[in-house]
Amino acid sequence: MLALISTILAQLTGDGEAGLSAIGAGLGYGLAAIGPGVGIGIVVGNAITAMARQPESAGVARTTMFLGIAFTEALALIGFVVFILLLP
Amino acid sequence: MSKRLWAAAAVVVAAVALSASAAGAAGETVGSCIFDELGEAQFEGIEGDGFTAVKELKTQYKAGDKHAKELKEDFEKDLEGCLEAPNPIIPEVTEIIWGGAAFVVLLALMKWKLFPVVKNLMEQRTQRIQDSLDDADRERAEAAEVRARYEAELADAKAEAARLVDEARDQAASVRADLQSRAEADIADMRERAAADVEASKRQAIADLQSEVSDIALGAAEAVLGRSLEDPEMQRQLVDDYIARVGADQG
Amino acid sequence: MNVFALDFPPVSHLFVWPDFLFTDTPVALNKTGLIYVAAMVLTAGLFWAAGRRRALVPTGAQTVAEAGIDFVENSIIMQTIGPDGRRYLPFLTTLFFFVFFSNIFEVIPFIQFPANSRMAIPLALALVVWAIYHVVGIRAQGFYHYFKGALFPPGVPKLLYILVAPIELLQILLIRPLSLAIRLWANMVAGHLLLVTFAVLSAALWGTLYVPAVLPFAALILLTAFEIFVSALQAFIFTILTAVYIGGSLHPEH
Repeated sequence: MLALISTILAQLTGDGEAGLSAIGAGLGYGLAAIGPGVGIGIVVGNAITAMARQPESAGVARTTMFLGIAFTEALALIGFVVFILLLP
Repeated sequence: MSKRLWAAAAVVVAAVALSASAAGAAGETVGSCIFDELGEAQFEGIEGDGFTAVKELKTQYKAGDKHAKELKEDFEKDLEGCLEAPNPIIPEVTEIIWGGAAFVVLLALMKWKLFPVVKNLMEQRTQRIQDSLDDADRERAEAAEVRARYEAELADAKAEAARLVDEARDQAASVRADLQSRAEADIADMRERAAADVEASKRQAIADLQSEVSDIALGAAEAVLGRSLEDPEMQRQLVDDYIARVGADQG
Repeated sequence: MNVFALDFPPVSHLFVWPDFLFTDTPVALNKTGLIYVAAMVLTAGLFWAAGRRRALVPTGAQTVAEAGIDFVENSIIMQTIGPDGRRYLPFLTTLFFFVFFSNIFEVIPFIQFPANSRMAIPLALALVVWAIYHVVGIRAQGFYHYFKGALFPPGVPKLLYILVAPIELLQILLIRPLSLAIRLWANMVAGHLLLVTFAVLSAALWGTLYVPAVLPFAALILLTAFEIFVSALQAFIFTILTAVYIGGSLHPEH
């Protein structure tokens, strides 16, 4: 019984490939999040500038901002998918 | 009606919650999965099941039994299955069927009845509010018209009243002027008559006085002279002349 | 049975639920399927209740349903398709409420599972949307003009078409539906993982150290509020992207 659990423990803590793929998954997601993070910042920042300059068209700016965020976010989400796929 | 709706929602929520708890007990975590595997373990050629069977397998394996070794490896693979699950990105067919059926049924219900009813309700309300606004506008216009008419009539009445008052005033003024002139004429007439009367009386009185005075003066003169004048007619004439002269001087 | 000090389930085990009805048949029902049915019942019930009470001043369910319709009509259709997009109002409203209700179960106590963190319905809905915007485009512009407008957008230098056309083809055939599905799915998976992480952490700390458990628990409360927002936002984004794609097919770029 103890032997069985230790086998599982070895699997979980990750020996060899499993550990490497976990590191790869983490790194991959981190890298994939950088670009979209900056991109969403730019999108939201410019949307706020637009809303401050023309408060009367804030509605359009907000809708367009959400669209821009959605498109930019897709890249981060693809990174997230890779993370899920690589996880042991 | 909404009570029934709440009841339906509660039933659905309860069903989901029950399934969740059952699922949680059945193998959500690795620990409980392994526990179940161990509890339900059964091996060929080994008596008993569950933990006793696993213990028996272990003793046989330690004793060096080949069959037991194979069984143990198979069982380990089963246990590893607890760690592995189907890839989460692959969609499950049963879930597509249930979710898809739910969506299709919902879409059909919405298109058929639910959505148009609510939408019509909204449009009816918009229409109703628009209608009442239009009504209010029309009524306001009507009221303004009526008011303008009343105001015009009122102005007419006022003008008429003013005209009447003016007329009356004119009439009164003319009557007064008439009366006044008549009164003045009367007064002047009366004054004239009175003056004439006075004049006549004065003349009468002067004439009376004249003869009286001349008589008195003659008598007085006779008495003074002590003798009668030879010719009384001539004497009278003389006195009269004198008096006339005196009167002329005085008057 | 607590095997490890911190009994954190592997990622896949948080999302896979055992069947409890019609097991081993193609129509086996599990928690995910049940949540979809619940979302359907909730949406239908909401609109049924809204249509029943014909009050002039709306209350309760009527307010929610009418605000939803108004929102989809004015904030989504009018801003992306235009007045001729009103035809798609029932579909988009249904889509919005269905996605929202299956998301919001993420924070409902004792259920706490976003059905859309399973790939099944996001992908199926994305494929439905994919089919709809192609059909709308072909019907509105004709097969040739639709694909010509999509693959060779005007205002691009002729030489660049070598690059642009394949990318656009990939875009309308593959990237659009996949990104639509993955966006919803991954957002819900990430939200569920966050909530589970902080819940497990709170439970573990409470079991051993007591006081420090306050911190992850406070984070858990904040994240729950955030996930309510995300549930609504993802429903909104799924719907508005659908509207954008339909609008793009309906009115070609000039």
